[in-house]
Amino acid sequence: MLFNSYAFIFAFLPVALMGYFTLNHFKQITMGKYWLVAASLYFYSYWNVKNLPLLLTSIVVNYFIGHYLHKNISWKKTLFQLGLVFNIGLLCFFKYAGLVGFAQIALPLGLSFYTLQQIGFLVDSYEGLAEEKSFLDYAVFVSFFPQLISGPIVHYQMMMPQIESAENKRFKLDQFSLGLFVFCIGLTKKVLISEAFATWAKPGFDEHTTLDFLLAWKTSLSYTFQLYFDFSGYTDMAIGIGHMFNVKLPHNFNSPFKSKSVIEFWSRWHMSLSQFINTYIFTPLVRAMPKINFRNTMIATFLAMFIAGVWHGAGWTFVVYGALHGAALVVNHIRKKKKKKFPGWLSWFITFNFINITFVIFRAKTLADAGKVLIGMMGLSGVVVPKLGIKSVGALKEYGFKMGSYLYPDDYFLIIMFLGTSWVLYKFRNTSELEKTFKPDTRIAIYCGIAFVFCLFGMNRITEFIYFNF
Amino acid sequence: MSATDILADVSIIIKDVLELPDLVVTSTTSAEEVDEWDSMTHIQLISAIESKYKVRFALGELQSLKNVGDMVELIQKKLNK
Repeated sequence: MLFNSYAFIFAFLPVALMGYFTLNHFKQITMGKYWLVAASLYFYSYWNVKNLPLLLTSIVVNYFIGHYLHKNISWKKTLFQLGLVFNIGLLCFFKYAGLVGFAQIALPLGLSFYTLQQIGFLVDSYEGLAEEKSFLDYAVFVSFFPQLISGPIVHYQMMMPQIESAENKRFKLDQFSLGLFVFCIGLTKKVLISEAFATWAKPGFDEHTTLDFLLAWKTSLSYTFQLYFDFSGYTDMAIGIGHMFNVKLPHNFNSPFKSKSVIEFWSRWHMSLSQFINTYIFTPLVRAMPKINFRNTMIATFLAMFIAGVWHGAGWTFVVYGALHGAALVVNHIRKKKKKKFPGWLSWFITFNFINITFVIFRAKTLADAGKVLIGMMGLSGVVVPKLGIKSVGALKEYGFKMGSYLYPDDYFLIIMFLGTSWVLYKFRNTSELEKTFKPDTRIAIYCGIAFVFCLFGMNRITEFIYFNF
Repeated sequence: MSATDILADVSIIIKDVLELPDLVVTSTTSAEEVDEWDSMTHIQLISAIESKYKVRFALGELQSLKNVGDMVELIQKKLNK
């Protein structure tokens, strides 16, 4: 079930919330947890019930491995390694089997996310950080539906106390209104903004065989905006629903397009994944090196970023994407160490364009498709100047520019959307900042109400979230 | 060892690793405020602290070490074990 669907907003979510708090109200704490797990599994199975057995297997197996990791047994290390093999094996099997000649199997929904989350749990259990809880508690932690499909990736130690707390068992109006507010922001990002950019991004990647200069930039910038509003919209909705259940999920985005370096970008974009990679991949890699020096940490940085890239999928596009970002991080760290700096605006310009260009590779189905868009962006497939009714533009023809048609209303809409959203991203506070100072009042209620009504009209054409594919 | 002593030692290490001799380190200082304190220097910092106090941090503890106050508290907890 998608957050941006009528069934979710008007049926599933109210029923899930009412059932949960009613049971808790009558002190049926355990029943409340069963309810939450049942609701989450229903939510998950709504797409395709065939994915459910794998999710359940993963939960059961990891719970029991975790259970024995808490005991003082002699084969603890072996068990831990088996646990890692189990999870990484599942991930690799479903993601990369197609690469080595097996028939490509459809990726089970959410696998990449719930697997990472449980790998974190196993490591924390092995190192004695995760306190043991019942199977039911563990099932709540993994399956909690707001974060099940696409994160934010949460830590067991972060989630469990919130679910356990007696204080959080009662319905809180302030948390509920905060949740609604954040959910509305997310819904608006997804339905009103991301969907619009999607219609401008898609043809360039999937339909046109060559792209002239302007079309190529329209395509790539539209995708960059689509991806941000899609994924951060999804995350806002997840966080909003979390608030309604009195569970604070971590933020995933912190104005990433304001970054002035690639290092900064990765501390602002998909933050829960960056932190996971940093904690459970980068750090063990560095510790495995014979010596912690600059060179070795750079090797680890590159490898960790590369792994983060191919985690997204089996394509060569993700290999190149990971490698480019890995290399950029290394260059960035070297310049930082030498205390070399560009002026602020230039740093921003380089960073944003690097991100925009690498997102072309990230989005394209093949490297050839990515090449097509990138060649267009360099102007190598020609430049078509739209008719603007200005005489001097006509003279450009002599310099090899082609003349196109007049701009369509859709083109003006694109320009307005692009400038408008850029201005909002630049000027306004982001969701996590707004959340901190949130106080419900009539003005906010009216804004949210208006946005919500617009979203309802936009929701008749339902599309999935980009990150459901990873 | 008292928290004040640990804070004094830790701030020397931080200034040294980040190559910022003039940085004022308090228990509220965190990685977010200091540009030089990124994932790369963080791991160097952790390893310097580990060898100074002969302690070992679990991977799951590393994120919470991005704040000096929390770091001091965790070191103290580990030393008292």
